[in-house]
Amino acid sequence: MGSQKRIAKELTELTESPPAGIMVELADEANLYEWKVHMEGPEKSPFHNGKFLVKLSLPTEYPFKPPTVSFATKIYHPNVTNDDKGSMCLGMLRADEWKPSSKISAVLQFARQLLAEPMPDDAVEGRIAEQYKNDRARYEEVAREWTRKHAC
Amino acid sequence: MSVTAFTCLPDPRPSRLRRIGQLRNYTQNRSLSSRVPWRSSTSGPNSPNPVENLNESSTPCPDTDHPALSRYTSAPSESSGFGDLTSRVSSADSALSIPSIEAPQTTAHAMARLRSASAAQQPPPRTQDRQNSESSVSPEPNSLQTDGIVPTSTPDDSITSPKPDKKAIIRFFPYQDSHASTTARPSLPFVPISRTLPSESCVIRVGRYSERDGIPIPNPAEPSDAPVGFKSKVVSRKHCEFLYVNGQWHIKDVGSSSGTFLNHMRLSQPNMVSRLYSIKDGDIVQLGIDFRGGEEMIFRCVRIRIECNRSWQQQPNEFNKNTESLIKNLGKGETADYSGCRECSICLGSVLRPYQCLFMAACAHVWHYKCISRLLHSPDYPMFQCPNCRAFTDLSAEVDDSNDLEERREKEPVASAAPAESAPQEAPQNGPVEQIQPEAATETPNIESTNGVDQLHDQLGDVTEEESLAGDIAEASLPNGTEQASLPQHTGQTNLPTGAEESSLSNGTGSLLIHNDGLGGFIEEDSLASGLEHLLIQDYLRTDDTSSAPSSNTDLARSATISIPGWQPSQPLSIPPGRQAQLRSDTPGRSETSDDNPLTPRNDSGPLAFDGRAGMP
Repeated sequence: MGSQKRIAKELTELTESPPAGIMVELADEANLYEWKVHMEGPEKSPFHNGKFLVKLSLPTEYPFKPPTVSFATKIYHPNVTNDDKGSMCLGMLRADEWKPSSKISAVLQFARQLLAEPMPDDAVEGRIAEQYKNDRARYEEVAREWTRKHAC
Repeated sequence: MSVTAFTCLPDPRPSRLRRIGQLRNYTQNRSLSSRVPWRSSTSGPNSPNPVENLNESSTPCPDTDHPALSRYTSAPSESSGFGDLTSRVSSADSALSIPSIEAPQTTAHAMARLRSASAAQQPPPRTQDRQNSESSVSPEPNSLQTDGIVPTSTPDDSITSPKPDKKAIIRFFPYQDSHASTTARPSLPFVPISRTLPSESCVIRVGRYSERDGIPIPNPAEPSDAPVGFKSKVVSRKHCEFLYVNGQWHIKDVGSSSGTFLNHMRLSQPNMVSRLYSIKDGDIVQLGIDFRGGEEMIFRCVRIRIECNRSWQQQPNEFNKNTESLIKNLGKGETADYSGCRECSICLGSVLRPYQCLFMAACAHVWHYKCISRLLHSPDYPMFQCPNCRAFTDLSAEVDDSNDLEERREKEPVASAAPAESAPQEAPQNGPVEQIQPEAATETPNIESTNGVDQLHDQLGDVTEEESLAGDIAEASLPNGTEQASLPQHTGQTNLPTGAEESSLSNGTGSLLIHNDGLGGFIEEDSLASGLEHLLIQDYLRTDDTSSAPSSNTDLARSATISIPGWQPSQPLSIPPGRQAQLRSDTPGRSETSDDNPLTPRNDSGPLAFDGRAGMP
C-alpha cells in the first residue's frame, strides 16, 4: 500500500509542523484515510475566531486521485455547500486539475485561504456568491453570525 | 583512419572509447570524419560534424558492422529533430533555451557535460542560438567546450543543416476526453505523430489517409513536412493545415466538410476556409464529428492533443541539470542540494537512495519506478503525462538515437575540453553505469550491448571510473587500466545514473528508466533508457522511419540487451557480431519491443515487466 506510506508521511509532517491555523488528526487512529482537521478562521475574515471542523477523506488511490474536503461545521461561504455535507469546491481538487505532487498541506492551506478570499465565480452556493459580490457588508455580517453560532 | 581504429576498440571496451574521447581533443575532427564514411562524404574530413551527421540520420546507415554508427544515424535524426524543433518552435522558446544553455556554464562540470551533449545532439539549435543571439552563444563555446568541438559543429551546421535552425517541432498525440460522459466513444486511435519543419515556410497538411500517398511516416527523424493522414471518413481529404508563423504555431481549416475544432470551437463553416488560429501546447484539436454514432472506427472523429513550444524543456536547464547531477551522485551520499528533484512526488520519498528503480521522464522529473508505474501502464499507454508538469511523452517512441549522439557528444566534448570531456564521458558511462557491477571488467562490454539504447552503457565500471576521474581531473589523463580496475565499483554506482540523466536531459525528450538491483553493495543490473523516448517503448522498430535496416537491428540488439534480472534473454535477431558478443549472457536481456519481436519472451505478471504491459488490460 504505497498510499499509506505517503499518507503517513504527510500526516507526520503536518503534525510536527502544522501550517498556521491548521491542526490535523486522524478521525480514527486505525484509519489513515479519514482525517479531522481543525481550522481556525483566518484573520480579517468574517470567520475570524471561528474554529471549523473539516473532514478530509483520502481515496485509496491517493495520490493519484484527489482528496475530498468537507466542512462538518456549518459555514456561510460561497464555496461550501450549505447542506449537511458541507462539501467544498476546490479547483485543485477537481479530477482533471489534481496532481499527485500536490500535498495535503497545500490543500488545507488553500482551503483556509479560500475562507479569507472566496471565489464567487466558482461558487457552489450561488445565492451567497451573489451576496458576496453585491452586498459585501451583509455577507460578512451573516458569515460572522454563523461563525459565532456554529463555530465557537 | 586512426580514429576508426579507436572506434573499433571501443566496442569491446567502452572505457577505452571514453578515453579515446579524451584523446579526441587532439584528433576529434579527424576521428569523426573517419568514423562515418557518409559523414566524410557530406563534409570534408577535416570539418566533419557529428552533429550534421546526426541531423542527416536519414542517410542510410551501412553500419551493420558498426552498431555505434547505426545508432548514431538513427538516433541523431530524432534527437536533432527535437532539438531543432524545440529551439525553433518559438522565439520565446529559443530565448529560453539560450539562457538555459548559458546557465550551465555556472556549474563547470555539469555545464560542460550538458553543453557537450547538447552540442552533439542538438547542433542545429545551437546554430540557431548562435545566429539569433550571438552574445549568448559565443560564451558557451569559449567557456566550456573546447575550441575544436565548437568550431567544427558550427561550420557543419552552417553547411549541412542551415535549416535546422529555423525548425519548429510539433507533435500530435491522440486525446481521449476522460472526463466526458462515459457514453462518449473514444476518438480515433493513432500513433503519436511528430513533425519537424524543414523550413518555416512549410505547411503540415492534415487530411484523410490515402493509400495513394503510400505508407505515412508518423515520426520522421529528419525534418519533414509530410502530410498527416487519418483513416477516418469524417476527415476531409484536405482538412486543415498547421503553419509556423513568426515563431508561433497556427492552425487553419482549409475547407473541411465536417469541421475542425480547436478546444471545442469550430473554426469555420463547412467547406469554408478559416483564418489562422494560433495554437499552444496542450490545445485539443478535433477533426470532424462522429458519424453514425461512431460505431465504426472509420466514422470516428480525430482528437489531437497538440504539443509544441516545449523546446525549453528539452534544452539543458537548471532543473534537468540538477537532476542529472542527482543521478550522477546516486549512492555517493547527498553532496548537493538537488532542490526540487530529490523527492518522488508520488510517495514523497527520496530518490537519492541507491539500489532502487527509478523512472525519469523526458521532462527530467524522476520518480520511483514502483510509484510511477501506475501512470506508465495506464490505458493511455504509449502516452505518458508527467504528473508534475503535465508534459506528454510518447513511451513508444523510438529510443532516442540521442544516446548515440550523447556518446558522440561525450567523445567530442572530451576531446575538446577537460571538463567537457568528463561530462561527455560520464554521460555515456552513466548509461552503462547502471550496471555497475563490480565484475564490470568482464561484463562491461556486455552491459554496453544491453544498454545499447544508451550507448552510455558502453562504458562499464572501468569507463565510469575513468570518466569520473577524467571529470575530476579535467584534461588529465588518459585512462589507466589500473585505476579502472580498482575503482570500478565506486564509479559504477555513482556514475550510473548520471549518464542516463545526461542523455535524457540533454535530449529533453528522452526518458530514463533506471533499474538497480543492488546486492552486496553492487548494482548488478541497471538498465537505463536514455534518449528521447522511454526505454519502455515497445516499438523501436516501428517508429524507426528513417532508420535503415542496420539501425533497426541495432535497436533490437539494444532492446534485447537491456537486462532485467530474471528475464529470459532474448536473442537479438540480427545483431552485428560484435554486439552479440557483448551481450550479457548472465543476465538475460529482455526486449521491450516484445510486441514487435516475437522472439522476445514476455513476462507480464512480474514486477519487472518493463514493457509497459504489466498494467495493461
